[in-house]
Amino acid sequence: MDTIVNDFTINIATANGTGSQSANLILLQSLFDMGVPVSGKNLFPSNISGLPTWYIVRLSDQGYQAPGDRTHVQVLVNKATWEEDLASLEPGSVVVWNTDSKMPMDRTDVFSYPVPMTKLARSLSPKLAKLVTNIVYVGVLAEILGITDEALHKAVEGQFKGKASAIELNKTALELGRNHAKENYTKGDPYVVEERPIEKDRFFFEGNEAVALGCIFGGVQLLAWYPITPSSSVAEGIIGWIPRLRTNDEGEANCAVIQAEDELAAAGMIIGAGWAGGRGMTATSGPGISLMQEFIGLAYFAEVPCVFWDVNRVGPSTGLPTRTQQSDLAMLYEGSHGDTQHIVIMPGTVEECFEFGWKAFDISERYQTPVFGLSDLDLGMNRWACEGFTYPDTPMDRGKTIREKDVFEAMENFGRYRDVDGDGIPYRTLPGSGMAPILYRGTGHNPDGVYSEKPDDYFNLMARLKDKINRARDDLPAPILREEVEGEIGVVYFGSMENTIQEIDDMLEATGIKVSQCRVRSLPIHSEVESFIRRHKTTIVLEINRDGQLWGILRRELPNDIVSQVHSVAYSDGMPPRARIYADLILETIKEASQ
Amino acid sequence: MSEKPARAIKLNVINEPKENYKGGPSSLCPGCGHDQISNVIITAAWENGIEPHRIAKMSGIGCSSKTPAYYLGQSHGFNTVHGRMPSVTTGAYAINKDLLYLGVSGDGDSASIGIGQLIHAIRRNMDMVYIIENNGVYGLTKGQYSATADIGSKKKKGKPNETQPIDLCALAINLGCTFVARSFSGSKKQLTSLIKAAMSHKGFALIDVISPCVTFNNNDESMRSYGYVKDNEVTLHMADYIPHFEPVTEVEIPEGHFTDITLHDGSTIRLETISDSHDPSDAMAALTALHQAEVGKKHVTGLLYFDSSKPSLAEDLGLVSTPLLDVDASDLRPSEDMLKQMNSEFLGR
Repeated sequence: MDTIVNDFTINIATANGTGSQSANLILLQSLFDMGVPVSGKNLFPSNISGLPTWYIVRLSDQGYQAPGDRTHVQVLVNKATWEEDLASLEPGSVVVWNTDSKMPMDRTDVFSYPVPMTKLARSLSPKLAKLVTNIVYVGVLAEILGITDEALHKAVEGQFKGKASAIELNKTALELGRNHAKENYTKGDPYVVEERPIEKDRFFFEGNEAVALGCIFGGVQLLAWYPITPSSSVAEGIIGWIPRLRTNDEGEANCAVIQAEDELAAAGMIIGAGWAGGRGMTATSGPGISLMQEFIGLAYFAEVPCVFWDVNRVGPSTGLPTRTQQSDLAMLYEGSHGDTQHIVIMPGTVEECFEFGWKAFDISERYQTPVFGLSDLDLGMNRWACEGFTYPDTPMDRGKTIREKDVFEAMENFGRYRDVDGDGIPYRTLPGSGMAPILYRGTGHNPDGVYSEKPDDYFNLMARLKDKINRARDDLPAPILREEVEGEIGVVYFGSMENTIQEIDDMLEATGIKVSQCRVRSLPIHSEVESFIRRHKTTIVLEINRDGQLWGILRRELPNDIVSQVHSVAYSDGMPPRARIYADLILETIKEASQ
Repeated sequence: MSEKPARAIKLNVINEPKENYKGGPSSLCPGCGHDQISNVIITAAWENGIEPHRIAKMSGIGCSSKTPAYYLGQSHGFNTVHGRMPSVTTGAYAINKDLLYLGVSGDGDSASIGIGQLIHAIRRNMDMVYIIENNGVYGLTKGQYSATADIGSKKKKGKPNETQPIDLCALAINLGCTFVARSFSGSKKQLTSLIKAAMSHKGFALIDVISPCVTFNNNDESMRSYGYVKDNEVTLHMADYIPHFEPVTEVEIPEGHFTDITLHDGSTIRLETISDSHDPSDAMAALTALHQAEVGKKHVTGLLYFDSSKPSLAEDLGLVSTPLLDVDASDLRPSEDMLKQMNSEFLGR
């Protein structure tokens, strides 16, 4: 039988809260350290302990990071999903299963590796048997697939840094699993791991962690937040970095953290911070943004800088709290009642999570308006290969904030909301400064910030706000383009779809269709997106949602003559995007479009 | 003929005329209790010698929340959204803890839509003065009952209120609020002393001011009408505020029993006891006084509860002594070397 090298998917079915996550991360890290292009996806339930959880590891020499279309190697530990998981396997798959679970294993068309995981684990530590069970299957997999001890040990040492007894226990458990496999099986399946030369130094990093670090380097001064999956690790990341990066020798921090009573209060706090002249941010998910709507309108209308990070989960309502989606885009872009329009920046890689983390504050202070960072559960909570973070290439932009009296006195015709420079952005003074005090308000106001219901004042104010945001578009992160010279078909997408796009592209190419890619990274739409669409006969807008939200925005904002060229492919079932589904939908759509 | 000498303008301790503490003309109904409170705020800030631009005027939505336009015209202010002034204030405070945050709110703001934010600001012991202009009614929307309306209170039209009111002072005491007082918009002297003391307090100072609505809630059966309060007010004590720049020894000591409470900046609030001696450090006594007043259909006014021992939010946040607003950019953004070092640490992990 021919071997299949570095091109298969491992699925590990366990129960939540059994400690399988650390074992799975050791497996992932050891493959990564062997130079194998690999990605891991944690499919976890909204639960603390007991419900089913799956960890999917995809090895791909092509660098594909999506979960793949099928499972090749199945690890069965969880009784609750046992039968379903087993039934869904294609013939020829590998099954590593816990014989101590007393569950049936009646498939004869698969490669079966029975392991008394619980007994082996108990023999090592009766007390910690549940935890050790997970490491035992990693040891078995290592032997079957060919993962080196060197890589495993390095991963264990990294995972349990400094905890000598935990390192020892895990290494022994790995050995137990490996020896069991050595003594009991002859390899019959084709799946093999092979070491690859490491060309670039890279490390694993979660998107949320990267956003947090970016915010720290962006000079965040107030983090106000309310815990919500899948964004909590952004806030916890910031809290974790403050002692090292934002605290003086006396142990005093220069970044405040307040866990708010709810998302409304978190929004109010960061608006208060922006009003007082500081850099305030919150991290939340869709339900939190829904609650913040009224405040978002206030920040837009009163022109107060503040930064919101939305780590998108599946909606509507409570939805699927631990699954991924790109469905908050439209809400962010037009958040709050009345006519509004907001700046949204959408990272697609961990490097960008860091970059947009610091940039969001500069954009927000420059334009005196709320800025939304949009990530999602897939990008935010999974580990991605990262080439390292790049230091901000521009100093902090504090915008048109007048801090010195002489500057203020030299200004002619100052008014808090007067467009002195003709760029739509007025100047502001800060509370406590004694300069041009006004009562900020969410009510209509004239250029001096005084309450007004005059038709001209309202009309001009709304027109200036629109103009201000409109002018920002080409100052925001430009789209990333990968263009085919003679491509007739363009694919526009955003965010975490970045991690699946190449596989989709290759699938399309296998059918003879070459497509160009355009990854949108900000709203309002950059002018380069329009020119990309113009260069292609047909453009597909690819999104992980039901309604095609980005497509909707494009259709409304693009010039009429190209609107009919733009087609939507939107699909979401809660899972991270699988390339095959989107590729097939794109093919269908292209066919329809050409008719 | 000789010219009349110009009348000397009275200045406060920082040489500011009272004029510099005034605001724009009020657009509330003539005779509104809120306007009296605005005047007291002007007097209190002026007499306390606070630089007007170092005050931040905060409010929510409602008749009361419009009043920041009518006082302290040299102060920045923020008329936020309904009931959410505490959170905006908390965020501003995190950035600039050196300003005096003066919040004005109403019973719709504080007892209904924003009761959660009020509770949590109290819980954090946020440094601010929080004045509730309490009239038991929604004025701007033309007279609906608020959550502080008394049972039996009657609108011009419709049924009398049958829902239990919320006593914000009792709530605050139960939450451990560190300064709780009740007053009446018509009691200028007492209210001035209380607001001045609240401005010197480090922590959350709540003053619930009964402020009759002349338009929608001034019928005599309402416990929040002007006539009713005048006739049924039980003053716990006469309060006299002695600012820190006037040493206590130089002040004429009033007759009778009195208690001095020292505030964090060294100023004193002197309570001359005229009823049973009320100890403001005794939460149970304060709650009892409120309960007895409720039973007797009266209002008890004065400083009900005071505790200077609790740390305020500033201490809890563990921040540098400079307000964050004034921290250098070089301290806010870690160095390039630090990022390089971290990148290499990530590689090794």
